[in-house]
Amino acid sequence: MVVGAINDGGILYGLLAVGAGLATGLAGIGAGVGEQGIGAAVVGVVAEEPGFLGKGLFLMLLPETLIIFGLAVSLILMFAWTPFA
Amino acid sequence: MLRPVKMSRVVVAGSKDVLPPVIEKLHELRLLHIVNYNGSQPEFELGKPIGKAREHSEDLIKLRSVARYLDIKNKAPDVTYPDSQVISQLDTLLNSVGNDVTSTFERIVQIDADIKISQDQINAMRPLAALPLDLDDYYGYESVSVFVGTVASAVDADVARVSPNSKVFSGSSKNAILVAVFAPAAQASEVAAVLAEHGYSENSVPKLEGSVDSAIATLEGKIKSLEGEKGPAVKKLQDMKKQYEDMFLAADEYLSIQTQKAEAPLRFAETANAFVIDGWVPTADLAKLKSEIEGSAGGHVEVQVLDDSEAENLVEAGEDVPTKIHNPAIVRPYELITRLFAIPEYKEFDPSLLIFIFFPIFFGMILGDIGYGIMTILVLMGLKKKFRTPGWQQLINIVMIASVWSIIFGALFGEIFGPLGLWGKVIGQLPEHEIEALKAAGAYFGEGVYGPLGRLGPMGMLPMDRLATNAVLMLIGISIFIGVLHCSVGSILGIKTELNYGEKKHAYFERLPVLLFQVFFSLLLLGLILGNMALVGAGGLVIVISMVMMVMGPEGPMGLAHVPFYVSNLISYLRLLAIGLASVGLAFAANQLAFYVIMPMLSGGATESSEFTIPAVIVGTIVLTAVHFINMLLGILSPFMHPLRLHYVEMFTKFYSSHGGGVEYSPFGHVRRYLKA
Repeated sequence: MVVGAINDGGILYGLLAVGAGLATGLAGIGAGVGEQGIGAAVVGVVAEEPGFLGKGLFLMLLPETLIIFGLAVSLILMFAWTPFA
Repeated sequence: MLRPVKMSRVVVAGSKDVLPPVIEKLHELRLLHIVNYNGSQPEFELGKPIGKAREHSEDLIKLRSVARYLDIKNKAPDVTYPDSQVISQLDTLLNSVGNDVTSTFERIVQIDADIKISQDQINAMRPLAALPLDLDDYYGYESVSVFVGTVASAVDADVARVSPNSKVFSGSSKNAILVAVFAPAAQASEVAAVLAEHGYSENSVPKLEGSVDSAIATLEGKIKSLEGEKGPAVKKLQDMKKQYEDMFLAADEYLSIQTQKAEAPLRFAETANAFVIDGWVPTADLAKLKSEIEGSAGGHVEVQVLDDSEAENLVEAGEDVPTKIHNPAIVRPYELITRLFAIPEYKEFDPSLLIFIFFPIFFGMILGDIGYGIMTILVLMGLKKKFRTPGWQQLINIVMIASVWSIIFGALFGEIFGPLGLWGKVIGQLPEHEIEALKAAGAYFGEGVYGPLGRLGPMGMLPMDRLATNAVLMLIGISIFIGVLHCSVGSILGIKTELNYGEKKHAYFERLPVLLFQVFFSLLLLGLILGNMALVGAGGLVIVISMVMMVMGPEGPMGLAHVPFYVSNLISYLRLLAIGLASVGLAFAANQLAFYVIMPMLSGGATESSEFTIPAVIVGTIVLTAVHFINMLLGILSPFMHPLRLHYVEMFTKFYSSHGGGVEYSPFGHVRRYLKA
C-alpha cells in the first residue's frame, strides 16, 4: 500500500511540501538570528550618528538573502521539480 | 544627470577695504563652496570677524530663548517680511515682547510649582484627619519630640513602657494604624526604636494652622485661584505666538544671516592688508561669479581660476571637491535614497536616475495590484497635505511614483484587491471549459481577460495570475533577468568609475570579470533550462575566463572568494517574485475567507451570492476590509524596503562609494524662507 502511495506521488508529494516548508522556515530563522545582532548594533550607531542610517540599513539587510535562498529551494521543490509528472 | 555637476577651483583675492562688499555679494550669489583656510602657511593668518558679529550672536541667543518659551518651531512660512521691517521690529521683539513673554512664562512655571506644593501638602494632610488634633498641635515644642506616621500594630503599651510620660494618639488609616506620639525629648531615641519595631513609617506634617479639614479647604481654594490665573496666562502666550510667530522666524533668519556674514572671514586667509578666499564653483556659473564679484569691489579684487592640473594637485593633497548632484525635478525625490546611503564622490556617478528607473518598477512588480495602487495614491495625497517638510514630501513622492507602477503591474497580473477577486467581475474572465483545456495543456497562466481584447502577450500570458505554476516559473526567470540587467548597469558604471580614478587594473580585472561572470552565469542557466548545450558551453567558458581574470586582479586568488556573493546577488532578485507572492497569497486568502467561508457559513450554508443574508454580508465585508488593510500596510512597507536593499547591496556594491563618501556642495549663503528675497 505504501509502495502504491509512493507511486502515485501521495506521500512523496507530502514530504516534498514538508521539505519546502522547512527550507523557507529554517532559512528564515537563520536570517533572523543573523539580523538580530546587526539590528541592535545599527540602532545603537544610529542613535549616536543619524547619518549612518543608510549604511546601517545596508548591513542589516545583508543576511536577508539567506531567506531568499530557502525560498528559491522551496519554489523549485514545489513548482519546478516534477518527479511524478 | 548621472554625473555630478562639473566644478572649478577659484581663488578670490583682494584688498581688505573691499571685504564687506565682497562677502555681501558672495552671500547673495550663493555660488562659492568655501574651502576653509587651515592656517598652515606662515605668510597668511586666519581672518577675524567683521562688523557686529558678537552683538548679532547675543541677540540670536536671546531671540531663540524667547522663541522657545513661545514654542515656535520651524514651519512653512505664512507671511514673509522684508529685511527693513525685521530690523525696525527687532528691538521690540527682543525687549518689550521678549520681557513680556519671559515674565509670563516664568509666572506660569511659578504657578505650576505652587500648585504642586499645595497638592503635596493636601496629600500629606489627608490621613491626619483620622486624629483628633489641630495642625498647630504637631509643632512648636522645645522639650517634646513628635512622631507622626503609620505603624503595622498598636504601639500604646510598648511606648508607655519605655517612656511613661508620653502621649499616644491613634486612628485608622488605609490598611495601617496612624499614630501621633508626643514623647519627652530625652526619651526620643528609645521611642523611635520601639516604633521601628512596629514598622513605623513617617508622615510629613505641613506647618499650617487650624483643623486639618479647614487647612485642606484653604489649600484647595488656593489651587483653584492659581489655576484661574494660569488659564489667561497660557492663553496670552498662545495669542502672542499667533501674532509674532512668523516675525520671530524671520528675525531668527535675519540674525543668522548677519552672523554668517560677520563670521565668514574666519574661513579666509588674511594678511595685514589683503584677504584670500579659496573655493569651488560650478563651472557653468564661473563667468557670473567673476563678473559680479569684481563688479562689486570696483576693481580691488581679483577672481582667479585654477587650471585642471593645479586643481588636481590640490585634490591629491587631500582637498575634497564638493559634489553638486543635479537631476530633473521628477528624479529629485529619489536623491533621498542616494543621500541616505552616501553622497557620491565628485568623480563617481550619481545613481539617483537609475534609482528613479528601477526602484518604482521593483516596487510595482512586488505590489502589483490595481486596487492597492489606487488606495496608496489616495492615502498619500492626504498625507502630502499634512506632512509638509521637504523630507516627507520627497518620501511621499517616491512612493507615489512607485504606486503608479503598481497599478500598471496590477493590470498585467490581473489583480484588483487580490487575484480572482474583482478583476473577473469588472473586466471578465475565460469560460470554465477553456480554463480546463489550458490547464490540461500546461499553458494556464490565469483566467482573467482584457474584456473584448481577450488574453494578450506571447502564449496568451497576460493577465497573469501570479499564483499559477507557469506564472511562478516565468516570474522566476523574469526576476533573474531583471537582476542581471540591474547588476550589469552597476558593473558598467563601476568600470567607468575606476577608469575615472585612473585605476585600470581595478576596472579591467575587478569590475569587468564580475560583469562577465553574472551575464554568462545567467546564460548558462538559460542554456540548461532550454537544453541548449552550445549556450551552456559558451557560458561555462566565459565563466572560467572571468574567474581567471579575477585571479589576475588586484586581490589575486582571494578575488575568487567573492564568487558566491555574485551568484547570491542574482538569486537575491527572486525577492521581486517572492515578496509579491506573499502579498498575493494573503489577498487571495482574504477573498476566499470572506466569500467562500464566512458569508456562506453565516448564511446557513448558502452557496449562491444572491442567497447571502445581510448580517453575513456585513461580517464578511468587515473581515475582508481588515485583512486587506493589513495586507496593504505590509504591502507598502516591504516593496519599499526590498528594492532599497536590491539597490544598496546588489547594485551599489558594484560601483558606488568604494572610494569613500563625498562632500556635498554647500555654497556660502542662505536660502531665505521667512524673509522677502
